[in-house]
Amino acid sequence: MDHLAAQKDSETTSEEYLRVLRRRTLILSALPFALLISAFLAVFIGTAGPLGPGVIDQEGHHERISFGDAIDAILNAHGDWPYDYHAVFWDVRIPRVLLAGLVGAALACSGTAMQAVFRNPMADPFIVGVSSGASLGAVVVEVTGLGALVAIGTIMSPVFAFITALVTVLVVYSLGTVRGRVYVDTLLLSGVAVAAFLSALVSFLIYFAHLEYHRIIFWLLGSLAQATWPAVATVALAVGVGSMLIFLFSRDLNALLLGEETAHNLGADPEFLKTLMLVVAAVMTSAAVAFTGVIGFIGLIIPHMMRIAVGADHRILLPSATLAGATFLILADSVARTVISPNALPVGIITALSGGPFFLYLLRRSRTESER
Amino acid sequence: MIWLVLGVTVSALLAFTVGYYAGISSVEEPLPTEEDESFTIVDDYGRSITLEKIPQRIVSSAPSPTEILFAVGAGNQLVGVDDYSDYPAATANITKVGSYPLNVETIIALAPDLIVGSDLVPRVQLEQLEDEGIPYVLFADRTLEDVLKTIRLAGIITGHVEQANSVAENLSLRVDAVKMKTLAENVSKPKVYVEYYELWTYGPGSFGDDLIALAGGTNIAHNASSEYPNVESEFVIAQDPEVIVYTVGVMSTTTADSIAARPGWDNISAVENDMIYSIDDNLMSRYGPRIVDALEQLAAIIHPELFS
Repeated sequence: MDHLAAQKDSETTSEEYLRVLRRRTLILSALPFALLISAFLAVFIGTAGPLGPGVIDQEGHHERISFGDAIDAILNAHGDWPYDYHAVFWDVRIPRVLLAGLVGAALACSGTAMQAVFRNPMADPFIVGVSSGASLGAVVVEVTGLGALVAIGTIMSPVFAFITALVTVLVVYSLGTVRGRVYVDTLLLSGVAVAAFLSALVSFLIYFAHLEYHRIIFWLLGSLAQATWPAVATVALAVGVGSMLIFLFSRDLNALLLGEETAHNLGADPEFLKTLMLVVAAVMTSAAVAFTGVIGFIGLIIPHMMRIAVGADHRILLPSATLAGATFLILADSVARTVISPNALPVGIITALSGGPFFLYLLRRSRTESER
Repeated sequence: MIWLVLGVTVSALLAFTVGYYAGISSVEEPLPTEEDESFTIVDDYGRSITLEKIPQRIVSSAPSPTEILFAVGAGNQLVGVDDYSDYPAATANITKVGSYPLNVETIIALAPDLIVGSDLVPRVQLEQLEDEGIPYVLFADRTLEDVLKTIRLAGIITGHVEQANSVAENLSLRVDAVKMKTLAENVSKPKVYVEYYELWTYGPGSFGDDLIALAGGTNIAHNASSEYPNVESEFVIAQDPEVIVYTVGVMSTTTADSIAARPGWDNISAVENDMIYSIDDNLMSRYGPRIVDALEQLAAIIHPELFS
């Protein structure tokens, strides 16, 4: 009797396993299409139309670009348009959609890697101080008026933010490292403390210099409004190289989840792995944040969401999270661009507003399911 | 259940916020008074304030009331001004009382008999000072007409009715001189985009919106959904303004070149025709007598053919 029951149990388990495997493969193969479709759709979403509220003319009519004109404007530089349709797509929207995808990918991919390295569900790409470091750089540029000093003023904020973010990570890393060994819990706490310290500095600078909030809210809430082709190219390079490097080590990240000693026995080098992942994630996130400010929640929530959907195997989880992060930020930004149009909304508000409750729903559901 | 509680809380908060803003009332006519006895005035929030006598120790908690009080000749009744008040030059010798937040201790130490505030100042602090026996009046101007009313009100409060009336009269004449030209029937209404920071502009109900209309322009952000909105770049491209104006202050980094260089802006009419101009930040943002300077400058920028 016992024997029979056990056999039955193992049968259902393997059936269950196959079902889960099929579902995971399906999700992973559906994600690239979801990304492509949302990116394609997002190009047509915006204040000026075709999908959007349109621009109100002097008679009070909502003028929208038609789908035909939109395709025409994407394919041709000149046409019989009331204003520069071509610029709307090629100078504003397409770079913005691409930047959204790249930044979403960067945050979700490095968030997944950080959660593995720290073996902590609270870990996100900003855990080693990237966001507060970048904000400090941006605030310093605003307060000192560095942007006005040179002809290439507009690149001062990203450059400064990138540098201060990396310096911050370096400081946190050295605080969490003793004789070449990375202590993740020390690292985590150092990250929290340094971030708190830098946030206080940022607040002090804003307060002391009477910095008006519209000068810095873009940074603190995160926005893709500054998307330019050079920004897209820079972030693409960082994300391309960075995510490939992280993907290459997905097996080792799996091993790391079992504990550092086990990882070592399985042939991974935990110290090298942790350092490499930290550096890659820091560079990738700093590059993204430098152009967009701090976009929260994606790096924390997308990895968890995908872990619920496809499981904890990093060979599937990393690419899934990367694609899902890109898709999510593209969609969130499409909402941010149009929901109170012509007013702009920092996308960080949308990611938090939509991501938070949806994630809580998933969390509760997966918990109640596992209790059954 | 959790979702219900969350939903109710969030909606209650939203409703409260909306209600709060809807509750801000419009300007009311001040009551006429005698100089030597106690008198009651009504401020821009509809609050009745009774003053025992004409205040001689006034604290101004924002730059625009400061400029108004000086203009009506009450500068020497000021014993404290906020950190931002820097005009006229005489403000340099007056005790600074912080900004937002105010330094309540400094204010109490000055023993003022009136605080003049704007809607930027935290009400909690003003109420705290009221509890200490220091009354406050609020100026909350939204249009040029409001400023003229406020100047007259400031004259009544400080006992400079005649000077205040003549200042208001003079400003009113200058405004009319501009309006005569810009609002004449055959005058065009070019589309204007005015920004006080990159992509931050003046929406409906704001001072900038009022000024653009009086200066004979059409504000492209007149249909935006807030008073001082941050707009989408493609919105400006799509509106294709004929004139672009940006404000210049201490910390501004915007230049005509940086505006022209924004992605996709090169074919905007104003950029193509070199119609990008700057205006002093403090003229546009302070609702004092100098707002008429802003109007005159704006009108000359939008209609160079009318003002030579």
